[in-house]
Amino acid sequence: MIAHFLAISNDTLFIYYALSNVIYLGLLIVAIVKNVRHRHRLGSQRLELMKASPFTPPITLIVPAHNEERSIVGSVGALLGLDYPYLEVIVVNDGSDDATMEKLREAYQLQTARILYIADIATAPLRSIYRSRVDPRLFVLDKEAAGCKADAINAGINAATSPYICVVDADSILEKESLIRIMAGVFADPGRVMAVGGIVRVLNGSRVVNNQIEEVRLPKSPIEVMQVIEYLRAFLVGREAWAGFNMLPIISGAFGVFQRDLVLQVGGFRTHAVGEDLDLVIRMHRRLHEEHRSYHIDFIPDPTCWTEVPTDLKSLARQRARWHKGLIDTLWPNRDMLFRARYGRVGWLVLPYMWIFEFLAPVIELVGYATIILALISGELSKTFFLQFLLFGYAFATLISIGSVLLEEMTFRRYSDWREVARLLCYCFFEHFPYRQLTMFWRLQGIWQYLHGDLQWGSMKRVGISTGPVA
Amino acid sequence: MGSATRGIEKLGAAGLVLEAILVSLLGILLLVGFIVLRRWYRARYFHKRSLHTVALRSQWNDILSGKIPAENWRFNPLDCDIVESILLDSIEMSPADELSPLLDCLRVSGLLDMRIYEARTSRGLKQRTALLALGRTRAMEAIPALAAGLDSPLRETRIAAVRGLGRTARVEAAIPILDRIVTGQFDAPERSLKNALVNCCRSNPEVLVNYVEETQGPVRELLARVLGELASPELGEELLVLASDVLPEVRASAARALGNTNASYTLPALHSLASDPEWFVRLRAVVALGQIENIGKINILLRSLCDTNRHVRQRAAWALARMEPQLHQILEDVVATKDDYALQAFVSELERSGAIDKIVSGFTGSGLHSAETALMEVVAEARKRVELTGQAVAAAAGAK
Repeated sequence: MIAHFLAISNDTLFIYYALSNVIYLGLLIVAIVKNVRHRHRLGSQRLELMKASPFTPPITLIVPAHNEERSIVGSVGALLGLDYPYLEVIVVNDGSDDATMEKLREAYQLQTARILYIADIATAPLRSIYRSRVDPRLFVLDKEAAGCKADAINAGINAATSPYICVVDADSILEKESLIRIMAGVFADPGRVMAVGGIVRVLNGSRVVNNQIEEVRLPKSPIEVMQVIEYLRAFLVGREAWAGFNMLPIISGAFGVFQRDLVLQVGGFRTHAVGEDLDLVIRMHRRLHEEHRSYHIDFIPDPTCWTEVPTDLKSLARQRARWHKGLIDTLWPNRDMLFRARYGRVGWLVLPYMWIFEFLAPVIELVGYATIILALISGELSKTFFLQFLLFGYAFATLISIGSVLLEEMTFRRYSDWREVARLLCYCFFEHFPYRQLTMFWRLQGIWQYLHGDLQWGSMKRVGISTGPVA
Repeated sequence: MGSATRGIEKLGAAGLVLEAILVSLLGILLLVGFIVLRRWYRARYFHKRSLHTVALRSQWNDILSGKIPAENWRFNPLDCDIVESILLDSIEMSPADELSPLLDCLRVSGLLDMRIYEARTSRGLKQRTALLALGRTRAMEAIPALAAGLDSPLRETRIAAVRGLGRTARVEAAIPILDRIVTGQFDAPERSLKNALVNCCRSNPEVLVNYVEETQGPVRELLARVLGELASPELGEELLVLASDVLPEVRASAARALGNTNASYTLPALHSLASDPEWFVRLRAVVALGQIENIGKINILLRSLCDTNRHVRQRAAWALARMEPQLHQILEDVVATKDDYALQAFVSELERSGAIDKIVSGFTGSGLHSAETALMEVVAEARKRVELTGQAVAAAAGAK
């Protein structure tokens, strides 16, 4: 009986693992084709005409800020310097305990503003609205803390006056042309494009001058380099390919443009959602499918946002546990979308994929390790086959990681130094052992915490942006 | 080799995994090898190209004048590519009166003929590259070959031909595109078509008018959008016909085009479009009103400020807040509308533009303290009502 169970379990694991990698290989191939095509077409984009046209739609940048005294002034300055003709920047001070508000008040000479604020989406009470005397495009909403980023974003959405909103993390850096580039995706088909995501890249290690990337470099520590590979794979492969089939399940909270009216229709960002970005996009898919609207939620790989990633294991563990909690927190309330014809390919393909290959992945992996070891001990599995299976899994997954680096090489080549690419390639061989097992453990922690009602975000240790010369 | 395969067959499932491992490892080797080789090749190529570019640049005037015969560089693929790149870049940046020597060089060296030949006879990437290069030459004789590319059965080739024709920026290049799209059978992305037509018709948008009149449905909308972007005062009353079109997209484009004119008919036409049943037509009309210099627009914008659509209200407020000399009067008129949303949209926009400080200081300077206070009280009261309405909306949404 046990032997039979172990045999079935091992076969299932084998099929699961092979299928997961084959799907990713398929996504990689689709992404390569899409990326290369996109790269060729970039040359014909008329960005200068978009900038000059009075009909370019205004956009509101919403910057939720909670205890960001170290970076807020520089970040806001960089956002105001973005190359976009009709820009409004709304910083939402979400009950910071530090000097975030004072720093803003001092640097931008804030004064109380008499602007329209209708709480279309209910949020924590607003203390005051300020406008900058230095730059009239800057508004600051000072609100009481609600303990979640979504509430701050919702306050920003209420105050926004533009038809499009873009949510940006206060500690992230947008490239100068990133807004006009991401909006080019909207201009392509304004009637159908409801939201567009841009790429988020790892800032750690790069040199920054005046809140703009001066030199792109890989970070020094292995844990950060691993995240560079993960981000490349997630954005250049995963999101690019899913968006190609109009099944993009997530637009990163660090950088994405949304049609404001649609966000309002779906009730804004869900307060206390752990993964508010994923949650919003899934609810947008739901709404648009229910209304039988022809739409597209797109991803564009060239508008870039640079963000700081965790540098220590503790912060990384917290972040990964939170991401997994966010995933469950979105999948569970939307479980009725699964295999329902009215939700089309989102209900039939992308959501089942996320349940099986994202949410359940750490559980299946753990069960798999346990049954394989049991089978090995009980003699149900030959040692040779075990080793071969491990090697196969490792080699295939490494192949996908190297594919992501190849994709970066063939398209955007942000890491121009060959030594950086060599390092990236080397780290691809360590990503699936032992880093993968660590992330599995953290994701299991996330499941555990979610089941026990722990929906806290947790804090991340930041080292700040490097502005010094690169060695 | 045969014994190895037999050995794998004997292994059964394990053999399958072994094969998978070998394939994966081979894949890894190939990918890593490809990346390394590509890096190496590119570094070498760009170094070599750089050296050749320096050499050719040092003799550029002689190459252009023909003192150095074309045979010296034409049959070396790298040199030929560099010279062509320099020529095409120069052509793109040069005014029309400086094109002649550059085009002569292309013609005399046979580069233009080579590209025409490639565009007509090659297939795939080579053909598409030739089509784009031909477009960049802006030469009249390139147009027939580009037009032929429009009839390709391959969509990518048709797109390249459209882009190439657009790059010529010649009105003659628009005709083959227009002739095909009016049939309604031409399949190419709207964005490429729009870009190409905008480039080609920029100096002569009149050419579009007849086509707009001849077409229906989506093609008419597309042409109207192009016309909307290019329309100039020379188009005259043709725009009035479009402004009363049955298709909202066409009316919206007419509104956009009217923003570029300032004739006697502009204001009445925009007045009518600003009360169109479609909100996006009204929005375009309001944006266009913001662009024209005419005091008569104030009343129309005041009405749009009370529009049911939020975007229209905001754009109207945006346009009004930029009419600095009349701001005091406008503010009084807005208060007189007794529309709280209009008042708040306008005051918010005054805040955004920074004009509110000037209004307040204007009151102070003129001794109209009471007027200022009264106005601000009205604003504060209206704001409270708006906030209460907003809270009610939010509460109702929450209750649902």
